[in-house]
Amino acid sequence: MTLQHYLVISAILFTLGIFAVLTRRNAISILMGIELILNSCNLNFAAFSRFMTPPEDISGQIIAIFGIVLAAAEAAVFLAIILAIYREFGSIRPNEVDTLKG
Amino acid sequence: MVIPLISLILLCPLAAFAIFGLLGLAKRSFPRQDYLSTAAMLIALVCSLLLLQEVVPDPEPHTVKWLSLGSVTFSMGFYLDSVTAIMLIVVTLVSSLVHIFSMGYMHGDPRYPRFFAFLSLFSFSMLFLVVSDNLLGIYIGWELVGLCSYLLIGFWFEKDSAANACKKAFLTTRVGDVGMFIGMMMLFTKFDTLSLYGETGIFSLAAAQLNTADMVWLSVAGVLIFCGAVGKSAQVPLHTWLPDAMEGPTPVSALIHAATMVAAGVYLTARMFPILTETSSLVIAYVGGITALVAATIAIVRFDIKRVLAYSTVSQLGYMMLGIGAGSYVAGLFHLTTHAFFKALLFLGSGSVIHAFHAMHGHGHDDDHGHDDDHGHEHEHGDHDAHGHDHGEDHDSEHVLGSEIPPDQDMRNMGGLRHKMPITFITMLIATLSISGVPFVFSGFWSKDAILGGVLGRAMEWNSVHHYLLFGMALFAAGLTAFYMFRLIFMTFFGEPRNQEMHNMAHESPKSMTVPLLILAALSFPVVNTLWFNADYVKPPEQAHLHAPEHAYVSPDSKVGEAGLTFSLFGISEAVAAEEGGQDTHGAHGDDGHHGHGPAHTIAMVLSIIVAGLGILLSWLFYHRRTLSAESVANSFRPIYNLFWHKYYFDEFYDGVLVALTVWKARLFAQFDGTIVDGIVNGVGKGTRDILAVFVGVFDNRIVDGLVNRVAEVTWSIGGRVRRIQTGAIQTYLFVVLAGIVLLILIFRAL
Amino acid sequence: MEFTLTNFIFYGFALMTIASALVVVTVRNIVHAAFSLMVTLFGVAGLYVFLQADFLAATQVIVYVGGILVLILFGVMMTSGRLEMRIHIERGQLLLGGLISLMLLMLLLTVIANTPAWKNLTDDGTELPPTTERIGELILNGPFLLPFEVVSVLLLVALIGAALISRKEVRDE
Repeated sequence: MTLQHYLVISAILFTLGIFAVLTRRNAISILMGIELILNSCNLNFAAFSRFMTPPEDISGQIIAIFGIVLAAAEAAVFLAIILAIYREFGSIRPNEVDTLKG
Repeated sequence: MVIPLISLILLCPLAAFAIFGLLGLAKRSFPRQDYLSTAAMLIALVCSLLLLQEVVPDPEPHTVKWLSLGSVTFSMGFYLDSVTAIMLIVVTLVSSLVHIFSMGYMHGDPRYPRFFAFLSLFSFSMLFLVVSDNLLGIYIGWELVGLCSYLLIGFWFEKDSAANACKKAFLTTRVGDVGMFIGMMMLFTKFDTLSLYGETGIFSLAAAQLNTADMVWLSVAGVLIFCGAVGKSAQVPLHTWLPDAMEGPTPVSALIHAATMVAAGVYLTARMFPILTETSSLVIAYVGGITALVAATIAIVRFDIKRVLAYSTVSQLGYMMLGIGAGSYVAGLFHLTTHAFFKALLFLGSGSVIHAFHAMHGHGHDDDHGHDDDHGHEHEHGDHDAHGHDHGEDHDSEHVLGSEIPPDQDMRNMGGLRHKMPITFITMLIATLSISGVPFVFSGFWSKDAILGGVLGRAMEWNSVHHYLLFGMALFAAGLTAFYMFRLIFMTFFGEPRNQEMHNMAHESPKSMTVPLLILAALSFPVVNTLWFNADYVKPPEQAHLHAPEHAYVSPDSKVGEAGLTFSLFGISEAVAAEEGGQDTHGAHGDDGHHGHGPAHTIAMVLSIIVAGLGILLSWLFYHRRTLSAESVANSFRPIYNLFWHKYYFDEFYDGVLVALTVWKARLFAQFDGTIVDGIVNGVGKGTRDILAVFVGVFDNRIVDGLVNRVAEVTWSIGGRVRRIQTGAIQTYLFVVLAGIVLLILIFRAL
Repeated sequence: MEFTLTNFIFYGFALMTIASALVVVTVRNIVHAAFSLMVTLFGVAGLYVFLQADFLAATQVIVYVGGILVLILFGVMMTSGRLEMRIHIERGQLLLGGLISLMLLMLLLTVIANTPAWKNLTDDGTELPPTTERIGELILNGPFLLPFEVVSVLLLVALIGAALISRKEVRDE
């Protein structure tokens, strides 16, 4: 196992997340994409902590834990917003929520 | 002092009217417009009296430049000579008295303040006319008095007859005014000015420039200007409006249609005296003579008291014209003055009688018991109207044409009023004696005699058939005048009351009405003669045509019009005449002395006394003693009587011929308008619309609109495209952001 | 690289993670996507175990699978009717998104492959002591105390805000 293995996995996850965010026409799917991205980040933190620092230093893992907390908060707020949008527009398709359209 | 005084004279009545007008704009009215107007006139009267001292023998006009059109400058200004001064006094005096009279007569009228405002406006206009030094100013005043006459005749415009009368007056005088305007323009083209006096005035220029060849021009211009006077002074053939103008309130008749405005025509003719030629003078004299005769003959068969006086006015105005036309400048103006007083008196007296009968013709008189009830008369309006009509019918029913006589103006309803209305009776009798030419103690005798003497003098001097004929007409008219005036007096004041109900109702008028009557009665005695026959004071102007070579033999510088002519004929020096005229403190007697010298005047005087006496005698026999029956005479001369009764069929002629012709012509023109003019206009319009408009429309739609639309479209499409950047969809934004990131990284790696 | 059991399990986890993530982003049914996401999260947790981050792996399973995923499923239920379960995908968008993602992936891979410091860092396989005690020390009695408190406040604020936003009736004051 080398660092690059993890990095490659992380990159693939990240790309898939980006792909989901860009292409899916459902807000919850987009949220899933975001979760993938966050996971790839956390994986990166953990991997760099494991390979680039002395074994005693685990601050990378702690940052990853913070990331998980943030992801939880983000998911809560995101779903609340989705509910509000659904009430307002009757839909959660992002291309239909275009009040800012010029 | 001249300018301030004249300004004050003009501004006072104008201010009185302006106050009414400005308050009228605010829908208010001055509480006592009558006091305001009367006070204004009294101030003007005082100023006029003061002006008498300012008169200088050969005055210069006080002029300012008014209007410049190219090389031509119109000026406005005042000219004050003795004639102006006397006219000012006449106008302001009569106007003041009429104002005072109206306070009683018009009391209770719903438009009482307006009446006084109009009187003020009229007074201003008349005074402006009198003091103007140029034809333009005279013309302005001329039209203004015409307007006021229109407004005041139609003052009771609810009455159809009044509304029609004011229109008739306005339109008829307009006919004459057209001629006057053309005459003015003729003078203007000749002399390039409308000023009359001064070195650059028309009179000086006419005297200096004109040669024989221009006499025709001048004659035509003179006659045309006289046309205005014919209209304004109600001369034949434009006299028909004046009797109808009696529909106005009686004070108006007294002021405008007896004393001042109608005399404006005479005044204008007198003002133009210097440029009157022999021909135009003769035309004027004939018009005046015919008018005097025609109107007098009509007057003897009228029953409406105001119509009698109206025809009398026309007749007397004819006298004045005759006098001026015959070269008796002073006599004409002298008669104007005396006539103004005694005719105003007669009208006001008739107004007093009408007021006494207090008839109901819906003028709001019915309300003015406040003044009258002190006489304790019961007014029974209900019946006398119908009664009056009955009476009129059984008397002469077949002759009562469309001209309905109001019962309170019908002399057949009057009679025996001398006990009821002593002051009115006495004053009217004095005026009647004056107008009838009762010798020596009444002013009318002197002025009428001056005209008769002047005409006869001219006839004898030139040995002219025309003037002998004119003298005969004038003499006959004088007899008729005496006849119809005494007929009026006998029918109104003597005999038994013919309408007992109305008689019972009659009463003497309030003081505000009798006092003016008394003042005017005093003026019917020869008190103004002093002014006119003071040779130093009134100088008749020289006539321009007399400078032309073939007229040089006529001595033009007669100091006292007609008298001077006779003096020169008999070789009596003018100096003596002037001395006698000027030094004698008692003008009338001094004047008497003058006339005694000329056979023409002696003859004229004797004849006029004879015809006046004859007229009075006949009148007495017909209408007082009733030894002669008017009806039987009328029946034996039925055609002539009918002619008189129908006023020589002037109205019928105008209605039947002129009006019909005008209507026919109007129809023709309307048809011409409808078919040809409208056709051309519509055709042009259609052509324009169908042809030109199509081109313009295409140009507009395609090029102009296209350009504008193209610009808008381009902007729109650019905006639309740019707008799409802002999709509002977050995924697009994110896509762009990521694409940017990729691009940036690629760029930095490449570097 | 010799084929050992450890390697086999690692690659298995990696494959599971990537494959299920691929399913997440491609499948049309959103409920399937959610369950596929669960597999992905488990896979990541397994990778954490390989990195000897035992506490992190546990947290991943508890928080993600037990919390976030349930939250997501709630969202799916509350917002989508039966017909809305299918995710609509547009072809042009898919193409563009794929292109960009692919370019991004290429970039990342080249960066990963070409960064010298990251090369030849092999997991030597030494056992490390469990991390839970040290993490507790670091968070509650060490340099991370303040960030921990801040994050807790943040979490509280986020929960209150979420509750406020998703409340049905917003009463106008």
